[in-house]
Amino acid sequence: MSSIASFRHFLLFGRPADGAVRLEKVRDARIDVLRGLALMIIFINHMPGNVVAAYMPHNFGFSDAADIFVLLAGVSAALAYGGLIEQRGLALAALKLGGRLWTLYIAHIAVFIIVCGVVATAVTQTQNPLYIETINIQPFFRDTVEALIGALTLTYQPSYLDILPLYIVLLALFPAIYAGVRASPLGTLLCSLAIWQAALAFELNLPNGEAGWFFNPFAWQVVFTLGIVIGRGALLGVGLPRLRWLDVGAVTFIVLAWWAKTSTGNPTGIGALNDWFDSVQLGSDKTNLAWSRLLHIAALSWLAIRWLPAGSAMGRHAFGRAFAAAGRNSLHVFCVGIVLSIIGQIVLAETSFAPGVQLLICAGGVTFLTGLGIFLSWYQIITNRGASAEPTAGRGAALPRPSLSLR
Amino acid sequence: MVALGSSTTAGSGDRAGDKSYPAVLEAELRRRLPGAEIKVINKGVGGQSAYDMLLRMEADVVAEKPAVVIWQTAITEAIRDIGEEKLAKILRKGIGISRAAGIDMILMDLPWLPREGRYPHYDDYRAVMRKTAQEQGVALFPRYAMMKGWSSSRQFTPEELVGMDGLHLVDAGYRCMALRLADGIVAGVGTIKIETAGGRAKPTN
Repeated sequence: MSSIASFRHFLLFGRPADGAVRLEKVRDARIDVLRGLALMIIFINHMPGNVVAAYMPHNFGFSDAADIFVLLAGVSAALAYGGLIEQRGLALAALKLGGRLWTLYIAHIAVFIIVCGVVATAVTQTQNPLYIETINIQPFFRDTVEALIGALTLTYQPSYLDILPLYIVLLALFPAIYAGVRASPLGTLLCSLAIWQAALAFELNLPNGEAGWFFNPFAWQVVFTLGIVIGRGALLGVGLPRLRWLDVGAVTFIVLAWWAKTSTGNPTGIGALNDWFDSVQLGSDKTNLAWSRLLHIAALSWLAIRWLPAGSAMGRHAFGRAFAAAGRNSLHVFCVGIVLSIIGQIVLAETSFAPGVQLLICAGGVTFLTGLGIFLSWYQIITNRGASAEPTAGRGAALPRPSLSLR
Repeated sequence: MVALGSSTTAGSGDRAGDKSYPAVLEAELRRRLPGAEIKVINKGVGGQSAYDMLLRMEADVVAEKPAVVIWQTAITEAIRDIGEEKLAKILRKGIGISRAAGIDMILMDLPWLPREGRYPHYDDYRAVMRKTAQEQGVALFPRYAMMKGWSSSRQFTPEELVGMDGLHLVDAGYRCMALRLADGIVAGVGTIKIETAGGRAKPTN
């Protein structure tokens, strides 16, 4: 059977055409490397106004590191918990998922408190009220009790502390979305798109103070679902068909996005497109997603799956290894990155955005964060080595650690 | 009226005693123009950029059908240094939306900062606001100049002005700003409304 037919069968029915579900043991280095890279980009972008941020991907395309992060969250959730559901059943997977959700929640609250402390210190030391403004932390100082309750219920999210709540909600939805993707990836994607469009039409969002969530979960579940479909495909070992026209289409779209983002005004001179060019150049609707964002991230993922070397090839290069280590420990690196970037913002302002300091902070931060990833990977290896030495004595040879385990 | 803005507009969020500038402005305008029906709707969302506000302008401003919108904005753009041309474009679009809906706009200048050397392009962004307001023919409320005047007049402690301790965010500053806005608005609508109000509008401070 051709790969196109097999792929189509997967899209419609959630399994390869021959019906056999063989679970692949997947630890795809591409995911770790890209995730690590996205984390570094998020760190740089969270210090707006720095020179390096001007070279980050959001200046050259419709989607940015947040889209990659959410997409890869979907992919790795499918690999980890999808695999667990297939092998050990839903109950165990749900337990592990619950544990992970708790960890994420605690991490979010911890980062919230640390950031409040950092900003409070900065404001009292430097007398610059704008630090409160940029991080939207005013409610915390104004009505601490209410803000604290808001933080605990995820209904108050200062700027930059809005990705983890999204991740928590999406991961909580994982079993439902995965069940859908098992039955029919295409059907689930269509459902997911319909929910997004309905939320847009009815202006649905979860509450965040006077406004909605910066990342509207009703919208961003589309990217997460796309990630789950990709992860499910990887889990089943479904190969992408060689569709040249789609390759060409994806490249064309990405080039078009580049051109639209980097030109000033409307280079086509077609009056009807003026508004569209303005809308993509002024910023894209990150809260509610946008077709341009979604198509861009879809095109990028298609090309990445088709052309990036699979397996461990990407993880062999020194940079690849460093980013992969950060990507494997994404929660830690992300949380530390948020705190560092906010400290970075403050240092940048206090030094009047001196170029040397900007470069130093960016380079220093990225080095620190990748170093943290490498350290944590090393730490896990040596502690696992110690731990497996004792219990395995009675159980024969050391079982390989399940490759789909959680981090 | 609608007050569109970020945290300066949102103010305290304190339900007990709303001391945000739109609340003070409403009370003050009602006092000065007793005959007129006055409502100031607070649409401030902390931390929002001009672009974020542009996206919600239809829903939060036009749909409310106000006579006037006060747009307090651009601080995020100035801090993030997003590009002056980009800010000008966002402002022009926002002004365009309100004009198309027949709503008068008052643009609010950026706040004065004790040490604005922290943001090397701060003045450039103020210039963008000034220029855009001028070219579009909308009023620019001189918040910066006003705060600067206060700071040199020593009528206020620095804490009262910019809330440097972060804990008492500028109730005094907000109050004065609202009173000054009321001055301007009353002066602007004065010829029409004061007649109905029996000419009892007195400038206060």
